[in-house]
Amino acid sequence: MSGFFENLLLGYHVAFSAANLLYCFVGVFIGTLIGVLPGIGPVGTISMLLPVTFGINPTSAIIMLAGIYYGAQYGGSTTSILVNIPGEVTSVVTCLDGYQMARQGRAGPALGIAAFGSFIAGTIGTIIVMFVAQPLSGVGIKFGPPEYFSLIILALTLLSYLAHGSMVKAIIMAILGVGLSQIGIDVVTGRVRFTFGIIDLEDGLGLAPVFMGLFGVGEVLANLEESLNIEVFKAKIKGLLPNLRDWMESIGAIIRGTFLGFFLGVLPGGGAIIATFVSYALEKKLSKHPEKFGTGVIEGVAGPESANNAASSGAFIPLFILGLPSNAITALLLGALIIHGVHPGPFLINKHPEIFWGTIMSMYIGNVMLLILNLPLIGLWVKVLKVPYKILFPILLLLCIIGAYSISNSKFDVFIMFFFGIIGYLFKKFDYEPAPLVMAFVLGPILENSMRQSLLISGGSMLIFLTKPISVSCLIIALFVLLSPILLPKSRRIRAKIS
Amino acid sequence: MKKYVRADGLVWVILGIGLCIGSIKLKLGDFRTPGPGFMPFLSGASLGIFGLILIFSTTFARLGEGEEAKNEKASVIWNWKKLINPFLTLLILFVYLLLLEPLGFISTTFICLLFLFKLSEPKKWLMPFILSVSTSIVSYFLFSVWLQCQFPRGLIKFW
Repeated sequence: MSGFFENLLLGYHVAFSAANLLYCFVGVFIGTLIGVLPGIGPVGTISMLLPVTFGINPTSAIIMLAGIYYGAQYGGSTTSILVNIPGEVTSVVTCLDGYQMARQGRAGPALGIAAFGSFIAGTIGTIIVMFVAQPLSGVGIKFGPPEYFSLIILALTLLSYLAHGSMVKAIIMAILGVGLSQIGIDVVTGRVRFTFGIIDLEDGLGLAPVFMGLFGVGEVLANLEESLNIEVFKAKIKGLLPNLRDWMESIGAIIRGTFLGFFLGVLPGGGAIIATFVSYALEKKLSKHPEKFGTGVIEGVAGPESANNAASSGAFIPLFILGLPSNAITALLLGALIIHGVHPGPFLINKHPEIFWGTIMSMYIGNVMLLILNLPLIGLWVKVLKVPYKILFPILLLLCIIGAYSISNSKFDVFIMFFFGIIGYLFKKFDYEPAPLVMAFVLGPILENSMRQSLLISGGSMLIFLTKPISVSCLIIALFVLLSPILLPKSRRIRAKIS
Repeated sequence: MKKYVRADGLVWVILGIGLCIGSIKLKLGDFRTPGPGFMPFLSGASLGIFGLILIFSTTFARLGEGEEAKNEKASVIWNWKKLINPFLTLLILFVYLLLLEPLGFISTTFICLLFLFKLSEPKKWLMPFILSVSTSIVSYFLFSVWLQCQFPRGLIKFW
């Protein structure tokens, strides 16, 4: 137990250093900003800012990038409530009752309960991560190459299941991601693969240019097709503090949303999105007046908003314990750690305690900063909402170009970014969800290495994946998930709802 | 929509076959010692199989009357008028890439931003001009001076 408090103290020192406080603030500020702005999400922003973090130490980099992640969950609710346009996919459900509350002159309590719920959920989620991460790292040590291989297969299958649109298309995206990750020199044999004689490709495709292209440039090109003249809610926002009745009606939803969101966030496959839907459905089911849901019920805002924040805390468990991301954003955080020479896994907490405990402590601080940013400063974000997209998009493109160029002062990275920008745009047009590609691209090398190591251990027998209990369990679940839309009509309906 | 899904299914099948051929050239190895082409071969084969599933599932999917109509409506993916802005933006971005080294960061950024801002204000010059000048200067001081990013200087050496 004394070790635990020593680690907490270490985290406290790391997180409270002036530089890390600044990085944390920058992260949560940018997170709220992009959460508020429709048309750019945390995946695109983290991709754009990846090169900026190259010059700083990995702890500060993760503190800032994690701040963007959970900050976006706060900011996303603002547009849902005020404009009826979700800033983030995880705030889609908030539109249902949040916007109705705003129309009834209760925008203040809706924004207030969203911020307080997010704060409570984020803080409880962080406390749970703090207590369960170290004991769970013992379980992580039991994971060998076959278990890693099967778990990655499960993660990619689940993410494809939960992806928007056709599941076959999502699986294709995941396979394409694995394929793209194999470009460059094979680390085992030293053979150059699929570079077509281009020397710049020998180190493989860079994470940042690919992701900036797919999510930054691709998103901007797709948005340029639409007119983005958003009508902002014009009434004055007053009374941000929810009254006693609001609290009485919301507190149960916040607590349930927190635990539900955390549990679903740990699961691979983008738990935060599904957590908001499940939380909303649960609150409706438990409510004495389910027919009022959708007309401006405060529980309909409190539950999902708490669930998405708790899920973003939960997502750090598989990332730090197993080195496996549970969604596209944590895949980017994993990429950022790898770029900095840190390989997350069961030994991360012991090898790099400053990264783990520093990030955890910074999440407490970040949640307090977010509460301040999202309540007293709500007027600022409403003004930000009024920035027209015609001014915003050239600046976003410029940030992408600068980000890509500054990686290695090479035009080639900018070219790769443009190329994947076109690909990302086409994916949008043809209704392909790029999240499985991102995750597969980051996990591809781990997948290949664990498969090779497993086959070496077993002397070439594929049965190794079926004789290890954890491995076979993962593969059975993955197979079940894969076949469920064919075998179970109810599963098809669940997927349709998610889409 | 159907024909588009079939067409992109075909793209995946062709890409999958290409990956498999490339992998065989790289050497597959065997199960005991997988070669550099082993995993790419599996990826290529899976891509091809799922591409085929996409084609067949679309071809033989039974749709109701309403759904058929909805799908036909959704098939208007390419509204050419809507494509003008993304196309012009891409063109400006590629010009940026070409001019970056000869003209330098600040000049290229100014020129390209001017045209990007003008996309939404085709009849006005002043506002795009002010926005592009201010954005170029702010980005120069933020990234080049403060964050010490190295950008090509091009023609204007004193920057």
